[in-house]
Amino acid sequence: MAEGPLLAGWGVYHATVDARDGTIHAAANHIVYGPTVRRSIDGGLTWERSRKLSLPSDSGMTVNAAWHVQPGRPEEPDTLYLGGDPAVLFRSDDGGETWEVNRGILEHPTRRAWLEGAGGLCCHSIQLDPIDPSRMYVGITSAGIFRTDDGGETWHPRNAGTAADHLPDPDVEVGQCVHKLLLHPARPERLWQQNHCGVYRSDDAGDSWERVDGNGVPSQFGFPIMLDPRDPDTAFVIPEESYEYHYSPAGRFAVWRTTDSGETWQQLNDGLPDRAWAAVLREASAYDERSVYFGTQSGSFFVLDDRDVWVEAARHLPPILSVEVTEWPI
Amino acid sequence: MAHIVLPSVLSAEAGGRKSFEVYGETVGDALRALPIADLLFDERGEWNRWLNVYVDGIDARERGGQECPLAETREIRILAHIAGG
Repeated sequence: MAEGPLLAGWGVYHATVDARDGTIHAAANHIVYGPTVRRSIDGGLTWERSRKLSLPSDSGMTVNAAWHVQPGRPEEPDTLYLGGDPAVLFRSDDGGETWEVNRGILEHPTRRAWLEGAGGLCCHSIQLDPIDPSRMYVGITSAGIFRTDDGGETWHPRNAGTAADHLPDPDVEVGQCVHKLLLHPARPERLWQQNHCGVYRSDDAGDSWERVDGNGVPSQFGFPIMLDPRDPDTAFVIPEESYEYHYSPAGRFAVWRTTDSGETWQQLNDGLPDRAWAAVLREASAYDERSVYFGTQSGSFFVLDDRDVWVEAARHLPPILSVEVTEWPI
Repeated sequence: MAHIVLPSVLSAEAGGRKSFEVYGETVGDALRALPIADLLFDERGEWNRWLNVYVDGIDARERGGQECPLAETREIRILAHIAGG
């Protein structure tokens, strides 16, 4: 296994290990050399670069960034999905060598109402329904959540009940600013999202959303969200002061956990600094059966131990853009 | 023939090679012959605005950009504009 730094000099917005075959996939961007998608079959020792990402010339758009790589379902072993900027979804059916844009998202009839957020028009969340092979979701900043029930041909906004305080008309079908969307793997109709305007839970596959951050979470604003694969009622968020101030509210850096579907929240700050103005990016958290994990923009990586104490497992790293968890062979 | 010198990030992408000897009538031809050409051009074939290409010390943009002729060129140096701050 390679020690790193890997892909040195590149902004790795997201990297993940494909559980189907162990390949590492990375969405790596560079201000000069552009967006790329990489893959490594030897633990990061060597990397292949995908064929250049491109959009149809008649779209008038070019690819600005690669944001999130999502391996496909077990029954489609060569398929992967990629979210990017400007609000685009790609699919690969050859293990990540070539990527084809999804026309349903590219030419969505509501696209003109999508607004570019501070991070661009980024398609950052891709969630596959583990039971229904024709259903999946994407989350796009300042556009909202979209669901397909026909394998990606058509996409339907699923933002009912989510606030859009940043828009002059908050009662809109699209334009909501989802920051991260997760589907609970054991109850696929249950979705969680951290939004620009609150934390939300859906129990009907996004048809409706219930706002749940009013019960103790000190701010509606944040980016990451984490789950517990054994318990669909548990979620973790990391609030930030506001959309203007991306750091811990009042200098109290904490993770907030609910174990009752968002009815109540508890602060988890044991092991975290008493005073800190930390920021955690949308891809910089992960969860598995053992724990939850996140990295800060100030280069610290934390793991929650079984006594609910955060352990700083690494520090003095560059800003952490992406965290994923996997079994790593020694 | 021109000698193309790569910055370190591009060199890493080219398997560690720091330079290449290439033929071509224009700078664009020469850069397109590199194995990392996909990182120099966007999907419409344009240079990124932060990409600087120097032909024997002269900014290629002053000599027609990609169309800059290579005739007597000895060295092409690629420099990312952000280098240094």
